[in-house]
Amino acid sequence: MSPLGARTLGRSPSEVALDLALRHATYLIFLAVILYFGIQSPAFLAPESLGNVVKQASFIGIAAIGMTFVLLTGGIDLSVGSVMYLAPLIAGFAMEAFGLGVPAGLVVAVCAGAVLGAINALFIVRFDVIPFIVTLATLFLFRGFGTWLTSSRQFDFAPEMRAFGLSSVLGIPTPILVFAVVALAAHVVLSRTPFGRQIYALGNDAEGARKAGVRVGVVKGSVYVVSSASAALAGFVLIAQIGRLDAAFGEGREFDVIAAAVLGGASLFGGVGSAWGAVIGATLIQTVKLGLVFAGVNLYLQPIMQGLIIFVAVLADSLRQRRIAISRRRHIRPSA
Amino acid sequence: MTRTKLLAAAATAALIGVGSAGGAQAATICFAFQDLETEFWIAGHKAITTTLTEAGHTVIERNANEDANRQFEQVRDCIAQGVDGIILIPQDGESAVTIVAEAQDNDVPIAVFNRPPSDLSRGIVVVADNAAIAEQAVDYLVEEALAAAPAGETLTPLIVVGDLGDPNAVGRKEGFYAAIEKHADRFATPIEVASEWDAATALANLEAAVTANPDIDLLFTSSDFLFPTIRSVLEPRGMWKRRGEEGHVLMGGLDGDATACQLIKEGYVDATGVQDLYFEAESAMDAILAAIEAGEAQPNQVIEDPGFALTAANLGEREMDMWGCVLLSEGFLRN
Repeated sequence: MSPLGARTLGRSPSEVALDLALRHATYLIFLAVILYFGIQSPAFLAPESLGNVVKQASFIGIAAIGMTFVLLTGGIDLSVGSVMYLAPLIAGFAMEAFGLGVPAGLVVAVCAGAVLGAINALFIVRFDVIPFIVTLATLFLFRGFGTWLTSSRQFDFAPEMRAFGLSSVLGIPTPILVFAVVALAAHVVLSRTPFGRQIYALGNDAEGARKAGVRVGVVKGSVYVVSSASAALAGFVLIAQIGRLDAAFGEGREFDVIAAAVLGGASLFGGVGSAWGAVIGATLIQTVKLGLVFAGVNLYLQPIMQGLIIFVAVLADSLRQRRIAISRRRHIRPSA
Repeated sequence: MTRTKLLAAAATAALIGVGSAGGAQAATICFAFQDLETEFWIAGHKAITTTLTEAGHTVIERNANEDANRQFEQVRDCIAQGVDGIILIPQDGESAVTIVAEAQDNDVPIAVFNRPPSDLSRGIVVVADNAAIAEQAVDYLVEEALAAAPAGETLTPLIVVGDLGDPNAVGRKEGFYAAIEKHADRFATPIEVASEWDAATALANLEAAVTANPDIDLLFTSSDFLFPTIRSVLEPRGMWKRRGEEGHVLMGGLDGDATACQLIKEGYVDATGVQDLYFEAESAMDAILAAIEAGEAQPNQVIEDPGFALTAANLGEREMDMWGCVLLSEGFLRN
């Protein structure tokens, strides 16, 4: 008998239905949101509109996938917004100075992001400073460094950058392709590799993982490198669409990224979450945002509605977690 | 000497003159600003610090990095250091009220530059009339749109709105509506797109709005810094055209930055409302130095910058009145 079958034994159909609904609450809310905005504005359901939702979700989504790695270990990375700004900026300077093309620039941006993540990792692992404090400090440090490099001026990339950002392969926009590749790679790493299993083990029980032979410091440090590299890639992909990097770029985005990861099921306490969840979380947030634009909702009401929908989704997820926890408890006595 | 250099020299000389005339004694001025993230704030910062320093005054700079609480503490620190006066670019209208009150309660004269407090009754407030400037720019777009459209055709306007917590953004939105409502019978309900003064947000929302409403006739952005973002949305749809080309969308903005100047020259943008940066900087410094000289601890005064609209029609005459065109002529833009 499957675990689900065992858990549904002795329950009324309504309880089973509620259980199923809670298990798939995020997906159901996602579907409900799409249908609601589709009814409000049928154009929202057009392939171009839905593709646009995914394209615009790629920016936060790629970073949210990286953030999920960090959250799985019970950590947090507040510096991602500043990395989104600084890493593409470093790439821009390198492209200008060495005449690099866009693909090489992308590699430089990701490497720069990885180095910035390694700085976070160094202080968190070697000096045992809590991640919140380290990444809060580097949030200001990285942005300050970028602002100093540019003297607050915008940085204009060469026209090839925009050509890359607005390009498509087989009709699929490049940002969506990058998003898909990152999501797939992260899913494979988390679910099919020893490194992925070690991340979950660390998040569930750090001491237990250490006793089991997991190199906790290496794993913990690696997730910050992954997070920053992802943020750098996200920033580069979005900047490629605009062609200009402003001093305010990425500011406050750490909250969107964390919200997307949590909405996708990642726990702030570690051990729970998935790459696929981050994709869903980021896409749901973007669906709500763009749906409100399509529906022509008053600008003052838009943040309120966004907040409400995200709150409902997180609440449903919380209820789901609680219900799953209850259903997994061992029954001392069999039910009558 | 080129006309540009002549104008730049004249502007600098005027500012230095003001600084010198305003205060015979060297003063210590605290310049607290919220950040330097757009060309406007960079140019304003440069005009104020350079002019004061060259006039022999000491400038203590404080950057709040967009944190209103930090700015409050920075201003308190300046007061504790015994500065003679404060020039403030606040994070928002509400925090400005608190900071102005703190300065005046400690008998330190304070001038608020460009971003007005919610309460204009205290402090020296130098403020652009954002509504009037936006209205001038949109008036031009409306005239052009009506002249080009067949009689009886309803036109679709779109506005990219700034952060609604910023009084400047609200004023610009009001100015846009004031111009559109003069011809309400010819315009559909405007499409509003939130930008929150963020390029990524503007990109996502504008792309959605244009997908939902592809037949836009007139587009107004509440800040010129969003023109590259607008281009990214319009260009793939064949809507980024020069004046006179088929499919040109009438476009305007507000600020008067170097990008807007370049785009008006190239024909992609038709008008922009201009805040007279040099007038505003000069007025703030003049007023604060005069208050220090007079020993006035709590000066209250509102100085309004009427601004103007630089349009495709008056580009030849007014180009160098716009601070962005001066920056452009100095090679401010990279590409």
